[in-house]
Amino acid sequence: MPLAMNRRPAPRLRSGLVAVAAILGWQAAAPSVAAQELTIVREVDSDRYDPQRSTARGASEVLFMLGDTLVSLDYDMQTIQPGLAESWEVSEDGKTYTFHLRDDVTFCDGKKMTADDVVYTIKRWVDPATKSPVAWRAGKVDDVVATSPTTVEYRLKEPFSELLYQLTQSFATVIDQANVEALGENFGVQGFNGTGPFCWGEWQPRNIFRLTRHDAYQWGPPIYQNRGPAQIESITWQIVPEENTRGVAVMTGQSDVTQYVPYSMLAQMRSMPNVQVQRTDAAFWTYFMGFKVDKPMVDEEAVRRAMVMAVDQEAIAQNLYFGEVQPAHSYISEETLDWNPELEETLLKPDVDAANALLDEAGWEMGDDGFRYKDGEKLAPLAYGFTGSTWQRLTEAVQGDLRRIGVDLQIQLFDSTVYWGKVATQEFDVFGMSYPYVSAGDALNLYFRSQNVPTPNRMNWINDETDRLLDEGMAATDDATRAQAYGQVLRQVHDAAVWIPLYHEPLYLVGSSELEGLKPHNIYGCGLYKALDLKFKS
Amino acid sequence: MLQQIAYRVLLSIPVLFGVLLLGFLLLQLVPGDPAVVIAGPNATADVIDAVRREMGLDQPLVVQFTLYLSRVLQGDLGVSLINNTSVVSELFRAIGPTVELMVACLIWSIPLGIGMGTLAAVYRGRLLDRIVMAISVAGVSMPIFFIALLLIQYLGVLFPIFPFIGRGGPLWSLEGLSHVALPALALGAIFIGPVARMTRSSVLEVLGADHVRTARAKGLPERVVVLRHALRNALIPVVTLVGLQAGYLLGGAVVTESIFAWPGVGRMAVGAILSSDFPLAQGAIIVLALSFIVINLIVDVLYAVLDPRIGH
Repeated sequence: MPLAMNRRPAPRLRSGLVAVAAILGWQAAAPSVAAQELTIVREVDSDRYDPQRSTARGASEVLFMLGDTLVSLDYDMQTIQPGLAESWEVSEDGKTYTFHLRDDVTFCDGKKMTADDVVYTIKRWVDPATKSPVAWRAGKVDDVVATSPTTVEYRLKEPFSELLYQLTQSFATVIDQANVEALGENFGVQGFNGTGPFCWGEWQPRNIFRLTRHDAYQWGPPIYQNRGPAQIESITWQIVPEENTRGVAVMTGQSDVTQYVPYSMLAQMRSMPNVQVQRTDAAFWTYFMGFKVDKPMVDEEAVRRAMVMAVDQEAIAQNLYFGEVQPAHSYISEETLDWNPELEETLLKPDVDAANALLDEAGWEMGDDGFRYKDGEKLAPLAYGFTGSTWQRLTEAVQGDLRRIGVDLQIQLFDSTVYWGKVATQEFDVFGMSYPYVSAGDALNLYFRSQNVPTPNRMNWINDETDRLLDEGMAATDDATRAQAYGQVLRQVHDAAVWIPLYHEPLYLVGSSELEGLKPHNIYGCGLYKALDLKFKS
Repeated sequence: MLQQIAYRVLLSIPVLFGVLLLGFLLLQLVPGDPAVVIAGPNATADVIDAVRREMGLDQPLVVQFTLYLSRVLQGDLGVSLINNTSVVSELFRAIGPTVELMVACLIWSIPLGIGMGTLAAVYRGRLLDRIVMAISVAGVSMPIFFIALLLIQYLGVLFPIFPFIGRGGPLWSLEGLSHVALPALALGAIFIGPVARMTRSSVLEVLGADHVRTARAKGLPERVVVLRHALRNALIPVVTLVGLQAGYLLGGAVVTESIFAWPGVGRMAVGAILSSDFPLAQGAIIVLALSFIVINLIVDVLYAVLDPRIGH
C-alpha cells in the first residue's frame, strides 16, 4: 500500500473497499508524501498579485511566499524582526530610518537584490499614479534614497511610529523594477519576480495557483528554525468555494492544510488522528457593528450604550460559532500592541436591566408592541450587512438581543461587491464589518480619523481630541508616548460606545498530522506566512 | 441536410445578438460596481472615480454596448477586469473541463436512462417497472447539490475511493478519470430520471404500433422487435428531451462545478458575476448560449438520422 494511505482517516468500515480501490488503481486522491508537495485549499482568490495594489487577504497569503519585506513580524504580532534588512536605525527626531540590507539576496530569476529595488518599491507604493489603496500605510514619505548598494534611507516628513509594523505587511513586498516594467498592467497577473521562498509557477484565476521552491533562498525571518530554502518543493493553492468540501478535503488528505473550515467541523477534526488543529489568539481580526453617531436615534449616547449592553457576545460565540471564537467587549483584541489595560474595568458588558433603565431615563418609552418610542418615533435603526451566512446569522442574533430592550433593528444585506459602495453612503444607522489590524494605532488611525469620513470612518466620528491624540500617537518617537496616546483614544471611543464589538476571530490552521512545523502566524490573517518550517514527516 | 444545417446556423445569428444584448443589459442590472471592486474596500471616492473613467464605465449604455458589439464581432471579447487576461483565453481554458464533464456525464447516464426506460416499458406494470419509475422520480426530485454532497460523503469520505476537488488531468488519464467520476455521477444522476421516463412512455407507444405488430407477426424474436423496431422509433422524443435537458444540465453544471471545484465555464460564470467582472461574465454567457444552440443543432441532425422523413 502506498505511503500516501497513511494520511487518510482512521479506518471505519472501509478497509475492504479501500483495498478494492487500490487494486483498481483509484489512488489518485492523495499527493505523494515523499515529494513534499503541499496542497492548500481556500475560499477565494485575489483579483491580482500586485503587492502595492492588492488589499485582499487572498493576495497577501501568496505574496508573503512570493516576496519579502524589509522587516518581518514575530509570532506574537508585536516584535519586529529582521527581514531583507539585517539591522536598522531610527534618527533622534524619528523621521529617518536607515536600513542595512543583506547582500546575499537574489530574486527568483537570479538577479541580485539591491537598495535600488527597495527604493523603487517604496516610491511606487506612494506614487499617486499607482493608485495604491494603502499608500497611507507607508507614512508621509519625504524621500527614499539608496546611500549604498546595501543601505536605504527612508525619510519621512513627520515621524510615524508604526512604520516598522506597516513595513512587515505584504504591501511593502520588495519588487523588481525591470519585472514591473516588462509586464506593465500584467504585473502580478502573468508573473512576479520576487525574493521570497517560493516563485511564481502558474496562476489560473479562481482555480489554482502553483508555486515552486526558490532554491537559492536563505534569508528567511529569524522566527523560523529553517531560514531557507523551504522544505516544501511546491505549493498548490486551490480554490474550493464550498466550505464543507474544504473541510472534508483536509479530513481525507486531498488537501494538506487550510485555514478556511466551518466552525461546526472543528470539534470533529480535533478528534481525528490524521488531522491537527492549531489555533492562535494573537489573531487580531474583529467583528463589530458601528453606529453612525450623527444620525437621529443612534446619535444619543444612551441609546448606543444600551444597545451595546443588550448584545450577549458570549451567547453569540457559543451558539453561532460553537465556542470557537472569542467574545469581544473591546474594539481590538486585548493582546494587541498598545491596548490600554485600564479599560478592562469599564468595558460595557451584557446587562439587559441596565440597558432598559438607560433607555427609560433617556425618554424612550416602551410601547404596547414591545418596542420603544419617543415623540411618536419608533426606535428602529437601519443596519447594513453582508449577504452570506456569517453576517446573516450575526445580524439576526443582534436583532434578537436588541428586541429584549425594545429596539427594532432593521436589517438590509448586500453582496460584498455592492456592500463597500453602500457603506460609503449616509443611508444607514448601523453597519456590520470585520477587520484585521496589527496594532491599536493601525485600527484607530484607519477608523477614527475625522479626515477618513465617510469611509473608512463610516461612523462620522469627528472629534478634535481624537485627531490630536492620533497625531500624537503617530508621531511619537517612543513606545510609551504612543501607547499612552492610543490608549486615550481607545478610552474615548469605548466610552462613547461607537461600536458594538461582537467577537475576535482566532486563527485556525487545520492540516494533515503528517505535517511538521504547522504553527499559525496571523499577519494580515495569513496563517501560513512564509511556511519555511513546514514539511512532511518522512 | 447541409442546407438545413446552414439554415439553422443562419437562424442562430439573431438569437446570438439577443443573447449579447440581454447579457449586456442584465449585467447592468447587477448592483455590483467593478470600479469599487478593483479599488478595494478602503479606497476613497476619487480613486474609485479614476478607476471608473479608466475602464470606460462612465460612458452611456448605448456607447458601451456598441463598442462591446464591435469588439465581439472582431472576435475580441475583451480582457477580464479583474486580472487583465484575455477573456477568450480564459474561456478556452474553461471549456475543455466543461466538455469533459458533459461527456463523462452523458456517456453513462443516457444509455442507462434509455436502458432503464426500455426495460420498464417491456416489463410494464411489473416490479421492475415500478423500481425503475421510483428511481426516476427520486432522481428528478432530488436537488443536484444534495446528490453531490451525498456522493462526497459516501464515495469521498466514508469510502475514500474518488477525489472530489479539482480536475486531475485529461479525461483519458487515470487521474483525470478518477477526478471526473464524482461530478459526472452527480450531474448524470439528475439526467437518468427524465430520460428513463420519456423512453418508457415512447417505447410503450411504439410497441402498440402497426409495424411492431407486423414484426412480431413475422416471427422475429422479441429482443429484435424491441431493439430494432420499437426503440429506434421511440428515440426521437428522447433525443428531443436530451436536447432540452442540456439546458438544465448546463445549469446543474454551475452547481456541480462549484461544489467539486471543477474549473469549468459554469463556475467561471458564477465567479465572474459575483466579482462584477463584466467582460468575463458576458463571455461565459455567450459560451453557454452558443453551446445551447450547438446542442440543438446536433439534435436536429440526429432527427434526420433517426427518421429520414424529417430531413426533407
